[in-house]
Amino acid sequence: MALPTAEYVKIVEELFEKVKKFTYVGKHMQRWDAIEKILGKTRFTADYANLYRNLVYVYSVRAKYAHAKIRKIDVSEAEKVSGVLKVITHKDVPGVNDVGYVIPDQPLLAYSKVRYIGDIVALIVAEDPYIAEEAGEKVYVDYEPLPVIIDPLEIVDPITLEEKKHVLIHDERESDIVARYRIRTGDVKKGFDQASVIVENEYRTQYAEHAYMEPEAALAIPEPDGGITIIASTQCPYEARRAISKVLGMPFNKVRVVVPPLGGGFGGKEDVANEIGAKAALATLLTGRPAIAVHTREESIIGHSKRHPAIMWYKHGASRDGKLVAVEARIILDTGAYASLGPFVAWRATVHSVGPYKVPNAKVDTVAVYTNGIYAGAFRGFGNPQIHFAIEQQMDLLAEELDIDPVEFRLKNILRNGDRTVHGQLLDHGVGLEGALVKAAKIANWYRKRAEYAKQTGTIRKGIGAALLWHGNSIGAEGADYSAVSIIINRDGSVTFRTGLTDFGQGAIQGLIMLAAEILGVPPEYFRVEMPDTASVPDAGPTVASRTTAMGGNATLVAAYKLRKKLNEVAADMLKCSPDDIEIKAPEVYCRSDPARKIRWIDLIEECFWKGISLQEYGYYRAPKARWDDETGHGEPYFTYTFGAIIAEVVVDMETGKTYVERMVTAYDIGRVVNRVGAELHAEGGAIQGLGYALMEEIVHSPEGKVWNPNLYAYYIPTILDIPKEIIPIFVEAGYIRGPFGAKGLGEPSINGIAPAIANAIANAVGVRIKSLPMTPEKVYLELKRKGLIKL
Amino acid sequence: MSTEEYPEIEITLNVNGKDYTVKVKPYERLLDVLRYKLGLSSVKEGCGRGECGTCAVIMDGKLIASCLVLAIQARGKKILTLEGLAPPGKLHAIQKALLDTYAMQCGFCFPGVIMAMKSLLDRNPNPTEDEIREALSGNLCRCGSYLRFIKAAKLAAEYIRKGQVYFEFKG
Repeated sequence: MALPTAEYVKIVEELFEKVKKFTYVGKHMQRWDAIEKILGKTRFTADYANLYRNLVYVYSVRAKYAHAKIRKIDVSEAEKVSGVLKVITHKDVPGVNDVGYVIPDQPLLAYSKVRYIGDIVALIVAEDPYIAEEAGEKVYVDYEPLPVIIDPLEIVDPITLEEKKHVLIHDERESDIVARYRIRTGDVKKGFDQASVIVENEYRTQYAEHAYMEPEAALAIPEPDGGITIIASTQCPYEARRAISKVLGMPFNKVRVVVPPLGGGFGGKEDVANEIGAKAALATLLTGRPAIAVHTREESIIGHSKRHPAIMWYKHGASRDGKLVAVEARIILDTGAYASLGPFVAWRATVHSVGPYKVPNAKVDTVAVYTNGIYAGAFRGFGNPQIHFAIEQQMDLLAEELDIDPVEFRLKNILRNGDRTVHGQLLDHGVGLEGALVKAAKIANWYRKRAEYAKQTGTIRKGIGAALLWHGNSIGAEGADYSAVSIIINRDGSVTFRTGLTDFGQGAIQGLIMLAAEILGVPPEYFRVEMPDTASVPDAGPTVASRTTAMGGNATLVAAYKLRKKLNEVAADMLKCSPDDIEIKAPEVYCRSDPARKIRWIDLIEECFWKGISLQEYGYYRAPKARWDDETGHGEPYFTYTFGAIIAEVVVDMETGKTYVERMVTAYDIGRVVNRVGAELHAEGGAIQGLGYALMEEIVHSPEGKVWNPNLYAYYIPTILDIPKEIIPIFVEAGYIRGPFGAKGLGEPSINGIAPAIANAIANAVGVRIKSLPMTPEKVYLELKRKGLIKL
Repeated sequence: MSTEEYPEIEITLNVNGKDYTVKVKPYERLLDVLRYKLGLSSVKEGCGRGECGTCAVIMDGKLIASCLVLAIQARGKKILTLEGLAPPGKLHAIQKALLDTYAMQCGFCFPGVIMAMKSLLDRNPNPTEDEIREALSGNLCRCGSYLRFIKAAKLAAEYIRKGQVYFEFKG
């Protein structure tokens, strides 16, 4: 039996059809928190330490081996250190000793074994952070070292993807395979038989680190009823509450999570926030005092999730006239010591594994495996930066084989309105990929530069490269995909905005205010955004998967629409015109047909209070249902996709192998631009992060599983000296009916296409193709030398 | 020797125009004194190794990483943090320029970036793009506002050259 269409679905669709002119949406506006931030007054989590007396400090004693059995943990000496209040081990955990995100495979405090160098064996709670660290040296653990596996190819066979015989890392699970996904579309054998050209290659991507500027922090406060409040640097307050409650063995309603502004997140402050929140909460529970845990940069790098390294084999076939006929791929993702969000990352990588193209025949197999490296989880792109690095180089190689311009070749194969994806999903509208590519090529002077760069001599060469991308919006078939906000109009006419979605710098909450302001007719300055707090804000699902603008935006529209309806009715009564005739332009409210008939916003609000009309509204939105068939990879994995085209221009010094990215044009179809400043900053920020991923970033493990570069002096991220002269953001607004005024997300997609565009530009400049990330000067130089293109 | 055996030492330092006398352990960093003893929490700790620039302050006219300076080394010194950049209720030209260029993202690196820009503009009232890049090369920004920093530094220099150092703001 079909259920009636929910009211919230109708509201969002009605607004999409009806509203085409905007006062705030799509305009450049200063974000709501800019002033407090520019004054340095914004309180990040660790800054709360100044507001509490009697704090205790939590220090984590981490593993000495990347893989070992624990025979015994002796904390007696550490407990004797003056100033130490408590040494916490697994025995002290009152609830469930696990912080695994998707799979319960990750103890908060190790007990039977350690599986990577960041595993925690004990927590020292002391009066002073220096004492805590000092006492940490006196925790003695009797380890029985086990073989360390850093290479995922020791876990699985690269051809069959079957598990190999090895000493198990997760013996309790009886396998080190975390997840498998597949796509089976058409018949690849037949497809390759029709192919005139076939291109087959292996690509590798590296362990990458978020390097948000604010390391993880949490502060726990004991409550009189035995509950605990945790102030934490987390992207997901409700998810943190669930995880911390589980560790403490407390009901959800006794654990409160408050989220101050975050100094960056990029996906990293998902599960580690649960861990650090649980550490502070445990210390408070066991000492009765407020407790703070702040990670050093080294702890942050060693102890939180990374972007999955990937090994990918891709075989592409195309016909003589330049049409893709078949794609076959095997993808191995190394999820490190724990699953974290690995299964979901592997799924997203699989969904997008053929790129934004029409592919009649596809066979894709993905496997995620454990190793003894740092655990890998959510990081901007979520599996997509990896597969795009491979796909988009394959596309250039096919174009080269066919002697077709790479942009022209893509235009022959891209998804357009009315096409079906490789999963059989019909994209009946809202596909703006062609527009994005054509505009990007025009603004970048693609054809002229391509021709010009073909004639270069000398050792300093320029190159231009393109890459396309797509990115399914929100959570999709991974899980429950809902969002919520509440909007309260106060009696003085000011507006309070509450949501469980967090701002970790991206500015998406500003977009939500602009949407609400648009519907209500009040300027964004009237709004105050309350800090996410499980004691007051509605559960909006996690702040992940580029979902705030699309999903949070829909919930915002619903709440604002309901309020506006009430306001129009009361105003119509006061002004004696029809509710549809009411125009709100706070501080004024008037009849559109006769603007002289007007009242003040504040009087309208007062009238609502007298009439008993509640001006507190809740907006909820549940994403359209996603479907996924595990056997075939068919269905509708995401309700919509963001599309994009990147064109990068590089200068390569053939004598040093060094690449400088001079200019990037990034064109994205995000349906509708809501927060224009935020969108531009995402385009720029994603490009810069992608540049780091492309050229310099890599976490390196020693064979023993130690991390060789656990700070920013050796884990290089782009500085202001490394960035292009210019990044030109372009937006295509193809409009998607189930997004707020047609909007889709941009947070993650903005990194997906950067590394392959740079790789293609390097190939264009100097004729070598670098198939592993990062594309360091050494790799470029050695490849030039191997091919005899440079004599030095 | 364990931490508790170290004696505390009394030091006086001038921060944002005001003298403070504080007791510090010899291993305490200037960063900790500024943040936790004086409550100036605009000074951030991003790496503790002088690599990221989030703890940058100006000491006796020079830009320094306050995580690499022991508190006792700051004895008798004049220190400027973001809190002391503009009179209460006003924005400095650098802050205004960063708002004008819509540079704000997470904001964690901003206090350090602003101090680095201040240090540059004190030395060089009309910097070129290359000079700005050089001067800010010790300040990491992971959100990627760098291009806006370049624009903002130029704009701030222009404001200051025109004598517009402080601005009123609504907030």
